[in-house]
Amino acid sequence: MIPPEFGCTPWGRAWVRTVESTTAVGPNPMLPKARSLARNHAVTLSTGTGRLYADVSASDAVQRVRIDLPRWPARTQAETERLIAKATADAPGLAVGDLPDTLEADLARHNISFAVGLDEQVAACDCRTRRRPCVHILATIYTLVQLIDERPALAIELRSSDTKLASLADLDWVELTEIDAASFYGD
Amino acid sequence: MSFLSKELVLPGASATELPGRLQATFVPADDAIAWWGLPELEEAVREHALPEGRPGTCRFALPQQDRVVLASVAVRLADLDAALPALLALDRRADVGASVRAWRDAAALLDGDDDEAFEELGARMPAAAHAVLNNEGTAITAAPALLTQFRQGMSTRAAISSTTIKAELRPYQVHGVAWLSARAGRGYGGVLADEMGLGKTLQAICLLATRRSAVPHLVVCPTSLIGNWQRELARFSPTTPVIKHHGAGRELPESFAPGTVVVTSYSVLRKDEPLVGTGWDVVVFDEAQQIKNPEAQASRAAATLSATVRIAMTGTPVENRLEELWSLFNVTNPGLLGNRARFRQRFVAPIEQRRSATAAAALNSMVKPHLLRRTKAEVAAELPPKQYSTIICTLTDEQVRLYREAVDRAFSEGLGGGIGRSGRVLALLTSLKQICNHPAQFLGSDLAETGRSGKFDRATEMLAEIVDENDRALVFTQYRAMGELLSSHLADALGIRPIPFLHGGLSSERRDQLVHAFQEDDEAPPILLLSLRAAGFGLNLTRATHVMHYDRWWNPAVEEQATDRAHRIGQQRTLNVHTLVTGGTVEDRIAQMHDTKRGFADIFSGDTEAALAKLSDEDLHAVLDLDLDTLA
Repeated sequence: MIPPEFGCTPWGRAWVRTVESTTAVGPNPMLPKARSLARNHAVTLSTGTGRLYADVSASDAVQRVRIDLPRWPARTQAETERLIAKATADAPGLAVGDLPDTLEADLARHNISFAVGLDEQVAACDCRTRRRPCVHILATIYTLVQLIDERPALAIELRSSDTKLASLADLDWVELTEIDAASFYGD
Repeated sequence: MSFLSKELVLPGASATELPGRLQATFVPADDAIAWWGLPELEEAVREHALPEGRPGTCRFALPQQDRVVLASVAVRLADLDAALPALLALDRRADVGASVRAWRDAAALLDGDDDEAFEELGARMPAAAHAVLNNEGTAITAAPALLTQFRQGMSTRAAISSTTIKAELRPYQVHGVAWLSARAGRGYGGVLADEMGLGKTLQAICLLATRRSAVPHLVVCPTSLIGNWQRELARFSPTTPVIKHHGAGRELPESFAPGTVVVTSYSVLRKDEPLVGTGWDVVVFDEAQQIKNPEAQASRAAATLSATVRIAMTGTPVENRLEELWSLFNVTNPGLLGNRARFRQRFVAPIEQRRSATAAAALNSMVKPHLLRRTKAEVAAELPPKQYSTIICTLTDEQVRLYREAVDRAFSEGLGGGIGRSGRVLALLTSLKQICNHPAQFLGSDLAETGRSGKFDRATEMLAEIVDENDRALVFTQYRAMGELLSSHLADALGIRPIPFLHGGLSSERRDQLVHAFQEDDEAPPILLLSLRAAGFGLNLTRATHVMHYDRWWNPAVEEQATDRAHRIGQQRTLNVHTLVTGGTVEDRIAQMHDTKRGFADIFSGDTEAALAKLSDEDLHAVLDLDLDTLA
């Protein structure tokens, strides 16, 4: 079976629901265009805690998108960490960057949502259309969905406080940008 | 890793300034210390009484103004055995870079095995001492990690020399054994995916021989390779106890001598309870394409074996076949890539459907530490121009029966004497060689199925691997019928048709066409079958990187002449010459006599078959009779 293109994991799917809300009146005509942009690599997305930046190339112009996501309050954060620890302990053999799908259900049971609805996002785009969210913002979210499907842990990292984001730095390698040119030879 | 790697444009060393002072960097892949840092490198190395080593080029990080960039650097690579004593003897006042002094200190610390001292050294090593780049050219090995690899490399060397391993390992092989040992030491599995011809079997044997655990080791290989494993173990590590676990009467002993290696096949693994019930130390899966399908019984059985460490060996590049990659790692490193459904969601769909660079990069970083693949191109400097290997193939039950019947019939009917005798001996020899090739050839059938001849199956597996690597091969046989059988079978098995067969029955125009197509035409089939008689000389087939002798002419000069169709003096690439020999048969016996120069003098002076006809019945029977015990 071919997994769905957007939202093949519950983690990505939750984010799909923020733009394809079932309560919306009628289909949003911009969604197919937004998916097409995401599908065709038109979106360059970088993510940080509570923040998405994207350059969206559409119709010969590049639009800059920025979306702010509210971080979890300390209590939610603590509760989430507790649930993560429990769920990962129950799921040995979990690959790097993955989260067990049972955790998604646990979070829902505790009324913790990691996907952020459009009404809670603070989104800005350089484009001139008045309608918000514009197709560029929607394409950014679809691209985020793909990244989360690839690495579910990102869904949690986006909402966590900075200190928790210390990604597992690879101790065996030193990035070229981290090397001091002046002391390279040590003499 | 084609889908993963980015093309890099390496700036020449000229773009960056060399420090002008001698530097030293340990390069694990070459198992050597690289000297570098100034244009008059050889003089500087000599001046400090350091070993010159071999010339090479390394990809290092180098400072360029205020940043660090990647560069190709001309180096001299000195083997550790020579480099370390020279470093220790280096004058303290010598005008050398701090990186050289750092490696002198590392050499001095080896005896003590003092973790804290190594940690302190790792903290103060200058970047130049550990400037070895990763594949992507984005990072260098951290000093502590490089020191760990250095210590592992040295302990592997010590372990190899303290056992009775009878082989001179090439530097990349020492690195391979160190890599395998480090994995085993930490209880991690891994995939050794060196290209065919680089000696994966030898590296695995060194791993097994240097771990003389109370718990036995297990080697699982295709049936056609069981004899080869027994032979290679006996040759490279004669003191290792070996048990063949295959065939109807197989039985595992109650207890095992330390370091015992049990050799079995994938077909036995599928159904054998004692294998699953035994606790193993190292399990090696040779030709691990056999477990690339996660649904297959062999894959499931492989995953249920209880072992300290599981190593898969394959020469087929696996990185680009994601489902196969998952299946291999599901056996060697369970959990590394997650369960199969999730793996599809996270990696297969993103990479295959929308060419996701982030998913590819993530997968690469997850797999890379657990996969070692070297290509011949990468280690070309360490390889000889021609590399010979003899592959011992296993007889099938049908071949054993036909072979015994043929020998018994001939001797009970009597071989007679005089001219009649040589005719009858020749006919018998031909029958036996045909049976070794494939029962279909002996029985005069047009259809050669798999599963009936160990040699035939092994040849198919090897050629599939060669084609997979985009290499080209020449396959020599002395029989027209065998060539035809191979041609139609390989066309089906490899999905390439037709597989051309150059033999004496073709017009000279047609032969020229085949040769020309093989040499010049990129679309031509990568395999050319040749009759040894028709192709003995005059042909130029240097595009081949592999030569396979499917059956034996028993005249080394004739075989060498054929081999040289593909070899030209001064050629840069290594030519791999594979000779297939069916274990325990007359093929094997004659090959051993050639190798050891013992036995009947005439046999290796030229006309082997005429010489055999002159032997007494008793001597002849000893040469021809099937001896499966030599392999047991």
